Amino acid sequence: MSRHSKRKQSGEVNLGFQIAPMIDVVFVIMLYFMVMAGAVQVENAHNTKLPGTVATETDTPMPDEIAVRIEDDGQVYLNDDPLDTPEAKQLPEFANNLKQLHDSSTASKSEVLVTIYANELARYERVVDVLDALSRAEISNVTFQAGSPE
Amino acid sequence: MAGGGGGGESGEPEFQIAPMIDVLLVLLIFFMSITSAEVLKVDKKITLPISAHAKKRDPEMSKHEIAINIRWDSKQNQSLLLVDDIAYPAIADLIPYLKERRAKDDRLRAVIRGDKLLPAIEVQRVMNLVGEGGIADISFAASNK
Repeated sequence: MSRHSKRKQSGEVNLGFQIAPMIDVVFVIMLYFMVMAGAVQVENAHNTKLPGTVATETDTPMPDEIAVRIEDDGQVYLNDDPLDTPEAKQLPEFANNLKQLHDSSTASKSEVLVTIYANELARYERVVDVLDALSRAEISNVTFQAGSPE
Repeated sequence: MAGGGGGGESGEPEFQIAPMIDVLLVLLIFFMSITSAEVLKVDKKITLPISAHAKKRDPEMSKHEIAINIRWDSKQNQSLLLVDDIAYPAIADLIPYLKERRAKDDRLRAVIRGDKLLPAIEVQRVMNLVGEGGIADISFAASNK
């Protein structure tokens, strides 16, 4: 008898599914994810290959080698010529020179090989700046070397 | 009223709650999936350098990639190597693991995730390790912003 009365009492409370608050919550969650989607950092990459011995069936043409040196303070040298300032992240002058080299090598049907000599205390960020400029100049043959080119 | 979906008997269009919830849920799932997919890859203790022209990572290669995280402590001038959430204070200890992974996967690519303040010598050391581990395919991770 007491059970029956409890059921009756609980039945009086409206426990039905409320659509309006659910839509409110869904809207808030959706807005959160929409805003977060705009702030998402996408992780990209610069791909390269480590030097090594690879067997080939055909003769390998010797490419035109370009040395890029990165000093500790961030100054970038292209074949011993200083280009841009250490503060210039975009390296416009450096990228333009590389683009011209790439265009001339394409015209002469030769390949450009860039070797990066980064000083020990040069920041990794600066190395990535140089890789970014190489990507803009459409140069993909990049190798790394420790120490100075001499 | 002919031809109109959601029209009532009076001919006036009615607001249909059920399809609206369907659309909302689809949008919600879409935004949830794209945010969580990217956030998982980011190690908050590493500030990646920014590179606007880096290539998007190939989704097909994702299962062949091994992330090599290099943290940099500016206060102590010390780096810390982490691979698959395991720290390697003696970096040479990583070589056997790299060789083991390389033996299982011919297309293995090492993704170097270095802090932007990291000295280049630390990256070169890791590149040497990767070479000793038998991996020739490497890439340098960078953020888009």
